[in-house]
Amino acid sequence: MAAWPHWLPLVVFAPLLGAVLTPIVSLRSRHVAPWWALAVMSVTSVAALFLVLRVASEGPFSYLPGGWQPPYGIELRFDEFSAVISVICLIGWLAVLYSLRYIEWLREVPKERIPYYYALLLLNLGGMIGFVVTGDLFNLFVFLEILSLSAYALVAFSGEHIAEMAAFKYLLMGAISSLLVLFSVGIIFGITGSLNMADVATRIGQLDSAAPAALALAMLAIGFMVKAALFPVHIWLPDAHAIAPSPISAVLSGLVVKVGIIGLIRVYQIYYTSGVLDLHTLNQVLVWLGAISIVMGAFFAIFQDDIKLMLAYSTISNVGYIVMGLGLSTNFSVIGGSVHVFNHALIKATLFLAAGALIYRTGYRTLTDLRGIGRSMPLTCIAISIGAISIVGIPPTAGFLCKWYIALGAFEADQPFFGFALIFGALFIFIYYIRMVNAFYFQAPVHPEILEVTEAPLSMLAPTLFLASLCLIMGILGRIPLAFIEPAAARLLAPLGG
Amino acid sequence: MTGRLVTSVMPVAAVFLPLAGVVAGLVLGRISGRARAWGLGAICAATAALTIALIPGVLDGSVYEIYLLRLTPVIWIHLRVDAMGALFAATAALLWLLALVYSVGYMADGHRLGRYYAFFMLCLSWTLGVAYAGNLLTFLIFYELFSILTYPLVVHEETPEAMAAGTKYIIYILMGGSLVLLGVVFTFFLAGDQTLTAGGILNATMDRTSLLVIFWCFIVGFGVKAALVPLHGWVPDAHPAAPAPFSAVLSGVMVAAGSFGIMRVVFQVFGTELLAELGVMPVLAGIAAFTVVFAAVLAVGQDNIKRRLAYSTISQMGYVALGVGLLGAEATIGALVHITNHAFMKGTLFLCAGLLIKRAGIHNVSEMAGAAKRMPVTMAAFALATLGMIGTPPLSGFISKWYLGLGILDADQPLYLAVLLGGALLAAIYLLPIVYAAYFKKPPTIAAEDTGEGAEAPASMLVPTVIASALTLVLGLAATVPGFPYSLARMATEAFFR
Repeated sequence: MAAWPHWLPLVVFAPLLGAVLTPIVSLRSRHVAPWWALAVMSVTSVAALFLVLRVASEGPFSYLPGGWQPPYGIELRFDEFSAVISVICLIGWLAVLYSLRYIEWLREVPKERIPYYYALLLLNLGGMIGFVVTGDLFNLFVFLEILSLSAYALVAFSGEHIAEMAAFKYLLMGAISSLLVLFSVGIIFGITGSLNMADVATRIGQLDSAAPAALALAMLAIGFMVKAALFPVHIWLPDAHAIAPSPISAVLSGLVVKVGIIGLIRVYQIYYTSGVLDLHTLNQVLVWLGAISIVMGAFFAIFQDDIKLMLAYSTISNVGYIVMGLGLSTNFSVIGGSVHVFNHALIKATLFLAAGALIYRTGYRTLTDLRGIGRSMPLTCIAISIGAISIVGIPPTAGFLCKWYIALGAFEADQPFFGFALIFGALFIFIYYIRMVNAFYFQAPVHPEILEVTEAPLSMLAPTLFLASLCLIMGILGRIPLAFIEPAAARLLAPLGG
Repeated sequence: MTGRLVTSVMPVAAVFLPLAGVVAGLVLGRISGRARAWGLGAICAATAALTIALIPGVLDGSVYEIYLLRLTPVIWIHLRVDAMGALFAATAALLWLLALVYSVGYMADGHRLGRYYAFFMLCLSWTLGVAYAGNLLTFLIFYELFSILTYPLVVHEETPEAMAAGTKYIIYILMGGSLVLLGVVFTFFLAGDQTLTAGGILNATMDRTSLLVIFWCFIVGFGVKAALVPLHGWVPDAHPAAPAPFSAVLSGVMVAAGSFGIMRVVFQVFGTELLAELGVMPVLAGIAAFTVVFAAVLAVGQDNIKRRLAYSTISQMGYVALGVGLLGAEATIGALVHITNHAFMKGTLFLCAGLLIKRAGIHNVSEMAGAAKRMPVTMAAFALATLGMIGTPPLSGFISKWYLGLGILDADQPLYLAVLLGGALLAAIYLLPIVYAAYFKKPPTIAAEDTGEGAEAPASMLVPTVIASALTLVLGLAATVPGFPYSLARMATEAFFR
């Protein structure tokens, strides 16, 4: 089954087509929409599973629509980094399931608009999947726009004034970054006459002048940094992620920011292979920005009382880890960073879904108001605690191995200071999760009625608990993703002569 | 260490049996408190029996080990029972059993008992993991787990003082844990994954600065837990805030786990020869000697009994670090034996302090007058442990101090002899007045009328207290019987100093 060649186009077009059809299939009854979306995501997940199995057994492979050879036709390319689609499908599927009750509950949303919510969600997921599996630069941009535009709309979906403001801020920053990406794609096409990434990589290496390539690189890097919400271009993230409906927060924080990371990896793949520029300066910048992001994200998170805002700032910290791992550009650090792309997605989705369940049941969203909730919603709070322990990187949870690998990478790169920054940044992060645990378990409730609430319905509880258990499993069985990503990291760094 | 390697599931059983206790506690707790008490008592007793059952084989020269799980592509979770680990594990399991039995009576009218027992058993499991860890990563995992999952026990009372103490605890411990992590990462980077054995992982061919950095990362990291001055800040707050049975294990085993970590690092990561060459041990010995005296002086000024005992713990752990710092065979035996002896002496004292609080409402030294009349058995146990703490022959405290003294003379450092004796003298100054007041001061009449004459606790609390105090006598009288601490310490030490 895994060898069937058409899984690759299917995994991209199933969610996109599904998105377009969602309003049509739910014309008769809006209750069809979530089940339709669930079915679409199921098909996509099966395809993703086969693709991951195939890449694990035979390495990267391509799909050429219509049989046109790469520099002329478009190419879909699946390598180990593309395996992130497995997480996209998993979290997407769970987010759809979770939305079943959550979106109905949002009072501001007119009921007849609900099918469009699922359409946008599918569009967003499809855009992400397309982005990570595409083999040429222009499609990279197209998918980037698909996923970005749907993300803006999803943030604004609740229709509240504050949500519109957050979405607008997000749109403004996102549009700038998309523009930068588009410009540099244009420059690259101008100087090489090609859009296929592998082809571009060889052609850039043969150019006389490196200046335009350097300009394109800088614009691509900044563009993707905005998408990844790296300090100091993170300012759009906290509001957008905190205000979006909780399942969307999980998708945005867990997955959409990773698009920026995958974009950076793709840029690195081109420029490392071409050898046209010495990327040392860019790497140093990324490492520093990563370190600052870790500390600043944690620092701002400490002062938040709003639980979702806190989680949003914590995303900035974690993106800092990953970018630091890429910037250190050693074998260990790249493996650690790439695996954290997967693991952070799972952890942050756990946290946002659990936080959403608390908000759904109590209507409160600040730590002060939520005091004592650990007694009435024990399972949800256990999920949050597991997520918190994982994200801080306490062994043997999912967050630990990445920390371990990136710290090892810092030593390998002969920059132990960053290992130090990483480990003590994690400490900072723990302080605000301790506040959360204190509020849930050890402090007397501010609102007595909070002790009366019950666990969220199964369609919300089950995804949360499932993801929480994955936070533990991905830590204990951490060798599997580590071994899986290893060849890709080695291939990425091979041109450095390491 | 040379020895027969025997693959055995016994260490795994010992580590994971208490985890079964967590589940059993939660399930049985729904039936009745009685069922839970018996169930957990049985599990704890079985765990203690397992740890003791491993001792004869270890004395015979067998090393029990088992590879559990491959955490990363190269590192296994590896349990390995050597003499040092077997001694620490048996000490921990026995003290835990006593504290558990005591808890049943002490916590009977407490709140949130399910949580209390669950974390109580969890921490036993992780402590045994620390004792049996076969490599640094395994050690780190269990060490971090038990440091962090202790938090709910520290703040169990949920009073503002407990919360503040908990915050202080977690910040100190996490700082320490981060440094340990840094040390482990750096060691792994230099030397790869290696089993902890005598002779060490690191060697003199490595960069001297790196070695020094690693050494101080470990010493400061573990020093936080082992309460080396000036890293001891959390100890005097955490002990009075926690429930008495937990204070007993906190003082007896958890603080000692820091000292245990220091020993693992000194003897099995660096090795005695390398450290002698690096010349850092005199500094450690100096810090330890200062800790002994400084904490003892502070203890004299405390009125709160548990706080005074906490300072005494800091001072006594200074002895252990001093014994390690001298880097001599006899001193090391003294240090190892003192961990066990101190565990039961300080366990007794804290259990007695708990009885004084519970039955007579006595929190402070100034309220002790005439307590012996009302609680003769409790005060007899207290007096015996006090004498042991001072180092009166033939009690166990004398044995450890004797070997420490021998070690000091071996090392030709007579100044430390003054520290040893001064510490003992100060112990007399801060502990004897409590005993004196209890026996020879006239009780204030009002207090006596309030609580009545017979304030002695029921057998369920008294028996573990008396057993712990009897162990002080037994470990002194029968010090050289094979299987007792001395034989194991001698065996471990012979491997370290070849």
